[in-house]
Amino acid sequence: MNRTRRIAASLAAVVALGGLAACGDGGSGGGDDITLRVNLFGQFGYTEAYEKFEDDHPGVKIVETAEGDLGEYNTKLTQQIAAGGDAGDVVAIEEGQTVAFLAAADKFVDLQEHGGDELKDRWLPWVWDKATTADGSTTIGYGTDVGGLAMCYRRDLFEKAGLPTERDEVGALWPTWDDFIATGKKFQAGIDDDKVGFIDSSTNTYNSILMQQGDHTYFDRDEELVFDTNPGIKTAWDYAVEMTEAGLSAKLRAFSDEWNAGFKNGAFATIACPAWMTGYIKEQAGEENAGKWDIATVPGGGGNWGGSWLAVPKTSENQDLAIELIEYLSGEEGQMMAFEAEGRLPSLPALYDTPELKDATNPYFNDAPVGQLFVAGASQLEPVYLGAKNVPVRDAVENALRSVENGEVSADQGWSEASAAAEKAAR
Amino acid sequence: MARTRLARQQGAGLAFVAPFFVVFAVFGAFPLVYTAWVSLHDWSLLAGKQEFLGIANYRELLADAAFWRALVNTLGIFLLATIPQLILATVLAQILNTSLRGRTGWRMGVLVPNVTSVAAVGIIFGLIFARDYGIANWLLDIVGIDPINWRADRWAAWLAIATMVDWRWTGYNALILLAALQSVPSDLYEAARIDGASAWRQFWSITVPMLRPTLIFVTIIATIGGIQLFTEPLLFNSGANAIAGGNRGQFQTVAMYLVQQGFTGHRFGYASTIAWVLFVIIAVASAINLILLRRIRSAD
Amino acid sequence: MRTSTRASGASPLMYVTLTLVVLLSIAPLYFMLVMASRANSEILSVPPPLLPGDQLAGNIERVFANEDVQFGRALLNTLLVASVATVAVVLTSALAGFAFAKLRFRGRHGLLVFVVATMMVPVQLGLIPLYMLMTEVGLAGGLASVTLPFLVSGFGVFFMRQYASQAIPDELIEAARVDGASTVRIFWSVVLPALRPAAAVLGLLTFMERWNDFLWPYISLDFNHPTVQVALSRLSGGYYTDQALVMAGTLMGTLPLVVVFILFGRQIVGGIMEGGVKS
Repeated sequence: MNRTRRIAASLAAVVALGGLAACGDGGSGGGDDITLRVNLFGQFGYTEAYEKFEDDHPGVKIVETAEGDLGEYNTKLTQQIAAGGDAGDVVAIEEGQTVAFLAAADKFVDLQEHGGDELKDRWLPWVWDKATTADGSTTIGYGTDVGGLAMCYRRDLFEKAGLPTERDEVGALWPTWDDFIATGKKFQAGIDDDKVGFIDSSTNTYNSILMQQGDHTYFDRDEELVFDTNPGIKTAWDYAVEMTEAGLSAKLRAFSDEWNAGFKNGAFATIACPAWMTGYIKEQAGEENAGKWDIATVPGGGGNWGGSWLAVPKTSENQDLAIELIEYLSGEEGQMMAFEAEGRLPSLPALYDTPELKDATNPYFNDAPVGQLFVAGASQLEPVYLGAKNVPVRDAVENALRSVENGEVSADQGWSEASAAAEKAAR
Repeated sequence: MARTRLARQQGAGLAFVAPFFVVFAVFGAFPLVYTAWVSLHDWSLLAGKQEFLGIANYRELLADAAFWRALVNTLGIFLLATIPQLILATVLAQILNTSLRGRTGWRMGVLVPNVTSVAAVGIIFGLIFARDYGIANWLLDIVGIDPINWRADRWAAWLAIATMVDWRWTGYNALILLAALQSVPSDLYEAARIDGASAWRQFWSITVPMLRPTLIFVTIIATIGGIQLFTEPLLFNSGANAIAGGNRGQFQTVAMYLVQQGFTGHRFGYASTIAWVLFVIIAVASAINLILLRRIRSAD
Repeated sequence: MRTSTRASGASPLMYVTLTLVVLLSIAPLYFMLVMASRANSEILSVPPPLLPGDQLAGNIERVFANEDVQFGRALLNTLLVASVATVAVVLTSALAGFAFAKLRFRGRHGLLVFVVATMMVPVQLGLIPLYMLMTEVGLAGGLASVTLPFLVSGFGVFFMRQYASQAIPDELIEAARVDGASTVRIFWSVVLPALRPAAAVLGLLTFMERWNDFLWPYISLDFNHPTVQVALSRLSGGYYTDQALVMAGTLMGTLPLVVVFILFGRQIVGGIMEGGVKS
């Protein structure tokens, strides 16, 4: 009975393993240890902050899991919140997803019931509102960073193309987007290399311009799709198409492997960069490119791309501790540490006047005065309303723009396809 | 006597299949019924159930150009990938069935693609089909063909994805067919060889009829897997919004459309509709395949 | 007497074909090894490195040492889950497959169609109601939630049914019945040995599927009960993924599979049909 023996042996082995695995369960650390799980995307720069918090709270351990791809992160978080699964003790919500997750506000801890009201004035005024339901009754997130917007550029490539390289001069080259395009044409003529583009992709530039065009994008505050009526969208689109047609784009897809490699191997000379992008560039381009990247002001003066909030899902078993943690991380100390570690722009006006922020420089970017570049615009930032279906609509429009960029369709056809796709995605 | 024997078979038959149905009843049935229920509603993933729609979602889907496009993509990739794959798998199984040295090593070698991490597969095929410095374009260049933007052109994308699918699943099917080949008695082949039959003749007269049940199995499984195709096309599209399957949906499959509608668009109801319509399509395709294969002369 | 060999002997052409196929199959795995044995900065350079480096031991050590990932425990957990599921699936599929193929009972055609039909609905959305179900019965978060739903498999039943119908001649069963054997006895002594190659392949494929499953364990398991794929996903940190580390972890996660391969692979040999039916 070979078969029976084998089955019996397998079952025995399995039971033994089960015993092993089960034994491993209960013995983690000391009896009173609490582990707080923080679930984020990208790099928030909280390592030091965690250490400080752990020091102040003996017996507490913080574990961070970070998903690199924002789209993946949002999908997984949505799946877990929708299913009621364990998403962690603290989760990050990005600016494009706040309205969507506010629709499930009952799945998050209402911070107004846990001292939020006393804290609410420390942030930029609109930061609190963005994580609060429309009727003002529930707040699910404490603001961490805001994006801000500048223009990062490659000094060495500019030099090769015969353009000025000092950031003040560079910023003076493009006070408007028309000037930016003109500079781009000069660059392409000067660099004389097919494989190098002035901008990384039309979609990143499109998004940056769009976010400068008023207080809402695809949806107005009544959640009506205004794709055809909001002139800002067409303005941004037309600029992006103009750049494509002038041959300025490296035609890469944001966050793809080729785009990542592009930072390192100089596939593009400029990229619209919010504060958090500086950390990203540094990681992707690596040590050998230190000093080659620099930061200048962005055409249009300022803008905002990105920004996050920290929330506590109701499935957390350590809610009070988690709330304490997000209070700390979104407070002055936590946000300053994030700025120093990853260049993330704080959302607390109180910090804007401090020398640490105002005079901060970023050595990787040739000692660029990031404090001035980003902080100056931050307090003037006007909130931009992003609707509940912002992400699918934005994806649809970006796809259409990329089709135009790749020459798959004409610009006019691309626009009507974008309109149709946006309308469909908004359903 | 005969009746009790039959009764015993009835009892034994039901008892033997019971474990499957018990576990299914507990864990498998509810999700299916639930998604069917959800498909009758306007149901937001995060905001919850909105309103009862009856079959309105189904009507919307049948008029949805993006759905039809995804279906064409799915069937195109399916045919492009599956036909060569099954032929290759059969040939491979035959080879693996011979008296090779190091048999186990070769057999396990062909299954390695299924073991390789999805991330590694994505990176490798990304390198092969990259637009600017890809290996495929470099090879084309040697033969004098212009570089192709693999993700922009529909046929190119289908071909690339079919390559990925075949790479991953040919060995899998070969192993299933190999197991089936073990059940063919070798004296049948001996007798045929003595009679002077060629290897080709032996294949068609002995192997194929004897293997008919497994061929049916492999084809139906490939149909189910092929029409539900999701992982490979997603991997092919590194970067933001990969689920869209190309800027104009050139290679978005129905399963990708489903996930996009459900988890990016948060349209739980509509996505459930897509799931059940896909079920119908697969059922029909499988039935067609079954009818076609039944025409193979059976070994009985 | 000529010893019976399977078909004819292997020709050189066959070896060449096999070598080509296996080289293509193994290439990405080899690349994984190259990436796992180098420092992260070298991996993304153009052109990528082709030979392994010397960082393998160091990277592997870092994988196991990482407390947040709990890789060692994840390996054990997954071993448990996959083994239980494999044994259960092979057993229940053999039972049901044999019954569908060889036993005459009313309803068997309809029930078989039902079994196959259960595979035809895409699974991505089912996660949500399944999780709701798990929460209701109090199993959410633990290893039971990633094991119990997978104790049976429609794929397995269908596979075994087809195999049984071609590998077990009716005469064999008749002969055993005439000898007075009960159906259960027939199953253990006659059927199971004949199903050995199929059982080996099914066991292998089932184990692999459970081992590689990511999405459902990710959603359903809590932090202290990771499986291998979930643990691996924790290795990638933020924008800056140490690919070398991830590859080293992935390689470690693949090793047990290779062992299982070899164990099962040896079992894919001819069953009782070798030499034909003896009357």
